[in-house]
Amino acid sequence: MRIGVYVCHCGLNIAGVIDVLALQEMAAELEDVVLAREVQFLCSDSGQEGIIKDIKENKVDRVVIAACSPRLHEKTFRHVMEKAGLNPYLMEMVNIREQCSWVHADDPQMATQKAFDLIRMGVAKAKFLKELNATSSRASRNVLIIGGGVAGIEAALNLAEAGFPVTMVERESTIGGKMALMNEVFPTNDCSICVLAPKMTEVQNHPNITLYTYSEVTDISGSVGKFHVKVKRKPRFIVEDKCKGCVDLCAAVCPVEIENPMNYGVGKSRAIYMPIPQSVPQVVLIDPDHCVGCGLCLQACPADAVDYEQKPEEIEFEAGAVIVSTGYQLFDASRKKEYGFGKYPDVITNMQLERMLNSAGPTGGRVIVPSTGKPPKSVAFIQCVGSRDKTVGNEYCSRVCCMAALKNSQMIMERYPDAEITIHYIDIRAAGEMYEEYYTRTQAMGVDFIRGKVAEIYAGEDGRPVLRYENTLECRVEEEACDLVVLSTGYEPTKAAEGIGRMLNLARRPDRFFASAHPKMRPVDAPVSGVFLAGCASGPKEIQVSIAQGSACASKAMQLLGTGELEADPMGAHVDPEKCIGCRTCLEVCKFGKITIEDKKAVVDEVSCYGCGDCSAACPAGAIQMRNFENEQIFAQVRAATAHRSQSPFIVAFLCNWCSYACADLTGMSRLHYPTNIRVVRTMCSARVNPEFVLEALKGGADGVLVAGCRMDECHYIHGNFDAKRRMDVLKEVINGIGLDPRRLRTLWISAAEGERFSNTITEFVKELEEIGPIGTELKVKETGIKETGTELEEVA
Amino acid sequence: MSEELPKVLKAAGLDLLSCMQCGTCTGSCPSGRHTGLNTRRILRDARKNRTAILSDDALWLCTTCYTCQERCPRNIPITDALLELRRLAVKEGFMLPEHRRISEMVMECGHAVPLDEETKQKREELGLDSIPETVQKYPEALQEVKNLLKACKFDELTAEK
Repeated sequence: MRIGVYVCHCGLNIAGVIDVLALQEMAAELEDVVLAREVQFLCSDSGQEGIIKDIKENKVDRVVIAACSPRLHEKTFRHVMEKAGLNPYLMEMVNIREQCSWVHADDPQMATQKAFDLIRMGVAKAKFLKELNATSSRASRNVLIIGGGVAGIEAALNLAEAGFPVTMVERESTIGGKMALMNEVFPTNDCSICVLAPKMTEVQNHPNITLYTYSEVTDISGSVGKFHVKVKRKPRFIVEDKCKGCVDLCAAVCPVEIENPMNYGVGKSRAIYMPIPQSVPQVVLIDPDHCVGCGLCLQACPADAVDYEQKPEEIEFEAGAVIVSTGYQLFDASRKKEYGFGKYPDVITNMQLERMLNSAGPTGGRVIVPSTGKPPKSVAFIQCVGSRDKTVGNEYCSRVCCMAALKNSQMIMERYPDAEITIHYIDIRAAGEMYEEYYTRTQAMGVDFIRGKVAEIYAGEDGRPVLRYENTLECRVEEEACDLVVLSTGYEPTKAAEGIGRMLNLARRPDRFFASAHPKMRPVDAPVSGVFLAGCASGPKEIQVSIAQGSACASKAMQLLGTGELEADPMGAHVDPEKCIGCRTCLEVCKFGKITIEDKKAVVDEVSCYGCGDCSAACPAGAIQMRNFENEQIFAQVRAATAHRSQSPFIVAFLCNWCSYACADLTGMSRLHYPTNIRVVRTMCSARVNPEFVLEALKGGADGVLVAGCRMDECHYIHGNFDAKRRMDVLKEVINGIGLDPRRLRTLWISAAEGERFSNTITEFVKELEEIGPIGTELKVKETGIKETGTELEEVA
Repeated sequence: MSEELPKVLKAAGLDLLSCMQCGTCTGSCPSGRHTGLNTRRILRDARKNRTAILSDDALWLCTTCYTCQERCPRNIPITDALLELRRLAVKEGFMLPEHRRISEMVMECGHAVPLDEETKQKREELGLDSIPETVQKYPEALQEVKNLLKACKFDELTAEK
C-alpha cells in the first residue's frame, strides 16, 4: 500500500493558521505513507497535475487530501483519481479548512495538532478503502402515468413529444379528470373543456401514448428503471374499437335510468351512456349494476359493439418511472349534518353547480333550484365545507374553493343578472396571479360577502333553506332564507390512491395527501426514486399549478430515463450473505422498502438504495455494510482519533453529511470559533452510527461522543434521525448502566443553517466534560465506593 | 385580577389561541338567539385578557349545551372554557344572587334544593318516609358536609364580596 498525503495551503486560508510544513513532515512519517506534500492550491490545475504525476511516477495507489470540505471538492479529486487511472473511491478527504483553520484561528498550535489527528484518521480510513464501481443497468424509457386528469395529460404530452413512450392509466371511463367537468375556469373565465379537449384528443392520438381508460393499476413491483406494472381493464360491455360514439341510438332505446357518476347527482342518464359529450375515448359504457340485459341496445347498435359477456382483462408491462397524478375527491357534504345536504333538496355542492353551469352538462347550462325547477333568485355560497375543519379531520385549506366560488358567482350573475348572491366566508383566499383583481371584480359585480361560518341550515316555513350564522363583522346573529345554497366542499385525497400509495411505498403527510421528498426544494419528487407527483395527488391546487407540476414531472422523468441506462451510486448498502442470519430486522428499518428476503437472506436493491446506512447500524450480525462507510473504515477512524488523546477533554463526533456536517462547514464559513477538542467522522446519515462506534470511541479513551443529525422531520432519509435518536437514547441508558456518566454521549439535531448553535454546542459540551472529568473518573469513584465495574465497558463493547 | 385570563385558561388545557373568529359558536348558540350572549366575543375578550367579561352577565346565559364545542372547526373546548371563566368570575366575587342563594342552601341543608313541606307530605301519601336517605335525615352526616364545605372554603368563595 502506497499512500500519498497532500496538504493544501489554500493560500492563507489554511496556511495562515495551521503550520502546513510541520503537518507535511509529520504526515510523511505515518505508516504506509510513501510521500507527503504541501501545495499552495491543490484544486488548481497544477495542484491536480502534481497528484496525477505522483500517482503515475511514484506508484501512489491511495490518496489523502487534507484541504477544504469534501462537500466542496470531493468530486474534483475523485475526477483527478480517474484521470490518473486509479479508482476514484481510493481517495479520502480530510477537512482542515471549514472545520479546522477557519474555526480555530485563535489557537494555531492546537489547530495544527487537530489537523494532524484528522490526517491520521484519514490515512487510517484510506487503508481500508475499496475500489467501487458505479454499476449501470438498462432502464425502461416507458413512463407510467396514473391518472388522466389535467396534470397527467400535461405530463403525458410533454414526454410523448420528447419521444418517450408513455402508458396512461385512467380509472374513469374518460380522461380529462375534474377539469373536463367544469364550466369556465378562473382567473380567465375560459371555457374549461374548450382549452382541455384538444389536449385530451391529442393524448388519444399520439403515437407514443398508450391509453387505458376504465382501468386500474393493480400491482407495481420492482424499482426505478424497471417497475413491473399490472393493470386491470374493467369491462365496459362495449367493444372499444367498434363503438362509433353515436350514443343516441343505444341510449334512446335503453329503458333504465341511472345517475351518471360524472354528473354528481344532477339529472339522469340511461344505463348505456357516454360519460360526458367530450369523452376520450368516444366510447359508451354500460352500468352493469343497473342494466337489466334486455338486449335492446344490442339490437340498436349499428356497429355491433355491445358485448354483454365482456370480461376484465389484465395487462402487464414495464415502466422506468411512474408519475402519480391521481387527483382528488370532493368532501362528502352529508358529513356536515348541520347543513342538511341530502335532506334539503336545494342545498347542493359546488361540483353540482359546475355541472349545471356547464352548457354541455345535464341541465344544458341552466342553473335550477332542484325543488322548483326554476332559476334561483338568491344564491348563498358556504365556504370551507370540509376544509379548515378539525371536526371532520381536514385541518387544511383546500386553496381552490374561494376562487371557484368567486368564479361561479360571476357565472351566475352573467346568466341571471337579477340573482342576489352572497358568499359566506371565514377568510377569502385569493392569493395567485390575477386573483385579487378577480376578487375585486366579483365584489364590483354586486356579490355580497359575509364574514362568518354558517352555523346551520334549516327549512323555513316556505320550504326554502334558511341559513343561520353570525355576521362576525357586525357581531350579530342573522338568519336568511335563500333559493339555493351551494356548499363549497373541500378537496380530499382519493380513496383509490391509497392502494397506489401502498404499491409504491409512498409517504403521506398528516393531511393524507402524498408527501414529496422535500416540501420546498423537491416539490414533484416522491421520496421513492423514479416516482413523481403531479397535481392534487400531493395536495389541493389549482389547474395552472397542476399543469406546471405535470411538466415538471415530465422533465424529471426525461432527465432520469434519457439515456435508457441508470447509474447506481456505488455507496449503497450490500449484504454479506455468509453473515446474514435472516432475522428481517433490516426489512423493518428500511422505510424505503429496498430490502427483501430471498432464500432466508436479506437482499438490497442496490440500484435504488438511498445509502443512509440505517439498516447497517441495525443489523445485529454486522452483515450489512455501507460502501465507503464500512464498519472497519469507521472503526479505523475512531481508533486513529483516540490513539493519541492529543487534548483533554477529547471528543469524537459523528456528523451526518446533509445537515450537521454542512452546519459545521457553515460554522467555518462564518468564522465562528469553538474549542479544538472535537474530531469529526462523517457519515451519510446519523442513522448510520452504530452504537458500537460510540462505545469504541469511549473505550479508546474519548471523554465524550457527539452524534448529530438533521432536525427531526427534516432528515434527508425521512426517518433516519428518528431511528438514530432511539438508538442513542437506549445507548445512554447502557452507558449509564456501565457506570459512566450518560452525559458523555450527546445528541444534536441541527439544520445546516445553525452555525452559531453548532459552535455553542461544542463549547458547552467541552465545558460539561471538563466538569465531569476524564473518562473513567466516575468508575474509579464507584470502585473505591461499592463494587468493581472496571471491565464491563469492554464486555459491552 | 392578578392572573392573566388566557394564561389561566391555557393552564387548564383550554387554549383559545387558535381561534379563527369564524363565528360558528355564536351562530350555533341556542341561547344567543334570544339573549345577548355572543360566545365568540367572550372568547375573544378572554384571549385579549379583558377582565370585564368576568362581571358580564352574558357569561351566565350559556346553557352548556355544548353545540358550539361540538361544531368548532378548530376543536377549541369552548363550553369548557366558558365554565372555567365562570369559575374565575366566582373567585373574583362575581356571582348572580340566585347562585349565591343556592350556595347558601347547600351549606345550610346539604342540598341546592332542599326538601319542603309539600314534598314531605307527598312522600307520606305515597307511603314513603317523609325524609329520603340523604344528609337531611342524618344531622351528623349533614355536619360532615358542612365541615367539608368549610374545609374547602366554599363559604368564603360564595360570600358576598
